[in-house]
Amino acid sequence: MRPIILLTLLLALSGCASNARLNQVRDFADQAPKLAGFVDLSARFRDTYKREQPYLSPEAEARERVIDIKRHEAYPDFIALHDAISSYLHALGELAAHGRYDFSAENKAMATSIKAWPGTGLEERHVNAYNALSRLLLRAAGTREQDKAVQALLREGYQPLQDALDAMHTLLRYFSKNNENEERIVMGMLESEIPFAEDPHDRLLAALAKSHQQEKTTEYRLISLRHTLAAKHVDDLRERHLALYRALDPAAPAIETGTPTAALQGARP
Amino acid sequence: MSLTASLPQDLEALADSLSACADELHSRLMRALRRQQPMQGGLSQGAVQALFENEVALRQQANSLYIDAAAVSLQGMGATRQELLDLAAKTRLTIRRIDVMKELAGITADLLGVAAAVVAMRPEHLADPLQNLRAHLAALHDDRSA
Repeated sequence: MRPIILLTLLLALSGCASNARLNQVRDFADQAPKLAGFVDLSARFRDTYKREQPYLSPEAEARERVIDIKRHEAYPDFIALHDAISSYLHALGELAAHGRYDFSAENKAMATSIKAWPGTGLEERHVNAYNALSRLLLRAAGTREQDKAVQALLREGYQPLQDALDAMHTLLRYFSKNNENEERIVMGMLESEIPFAEDPHDRLLAALAKSHQQEKTTEYRLISLRHTLAAKHVDDLRERHLALYRALDPAAPAIETGTPTAALQGARP
Repeated sequence: MSLTASLPQDLEALADSLSACADELHSRLMRALRRQQPMQGGLSQGAVQALFENEVALRQQANSLYIDAAAVSLQGMGATRQELLDLAAKTRLTIRRIDVMKELAGITADLLGVAAAVVAMRPEHLADPLQNLRAHLAALHDDRSA
């Protein structure tokens, strides 16, 4: 009897360690929706021309149309990048969440049916004991299988995911700089034209222009915050991913990846 | 200019300096505008528009370069993207294998139920566990053939 108890205990304990990792991985993968900011800002980047158009001279508009085509051509690649990252995170999360075996319903059903058979010599506790042991063994084996698969996925996915997140971060920086130029074109046009609308005949025009200027100021302030937030989310994800990867091999020397903030500053060659 | 030979950092740096020139031009323009009463001679609206047009052109050049930089930095990403997608696909297979294990656990429980009914000599209690067993075996078969 004793070896069985020991074996059970051992499996249960190793199950606990694996479970802790699986929970961490699941929490990490749950962060994937935070990358939605990147998708929104990609679409905003793509639609720059539409927003700038009312403020452009005919010559500037002609130039912008050429740039507009380039933006539309690049857009599908941005989305493909996001989708690849999401697919990976989704698979990781599914794997970590999967097979959280819940046998309580089956156990209950079994116990009830046993009660319906009195006098057979088959006692409830026999069935329960057998159940408990067989499920524990199966569950532990399942968890270990799952944990092994999660570890392999983290190892194999480490470099591609870091590279993809780096690329995403770099793109967000370009989007943000593009947005700054858009803002200065729109606000600059208003700023340089409003003084010419100060004539008493143009009071209505001046009032409308100034009110519009205020709205645009608010809009660009909010957009700039969204860029900052989106970049921060990508950073957080990258750091948590790095931490999970390092936890796979706590004894191994630290992997040379550079600090996340340093990687932000320059685009990867 | 061959963009394919350029590194994204170079394109970005070039675009940054064009943006900075545009900023400088803009602050000069606004200083000149504020220094005088625009409607009383001095800088005409046409002159301001012409100067602003230059600023816009610089910003457009810069934005065009940011797109080039984005395109160049995504050039190597095709393989990375594929790797992530492949891993996701492989993981779905692993999940299916784990599902099979779960079905096996269910089958053990069903068999126990059948055994209990047999031991108890209560054939009327065989129906439910047998039904479950059939369902589990069918699920297992689906998993394998999927």
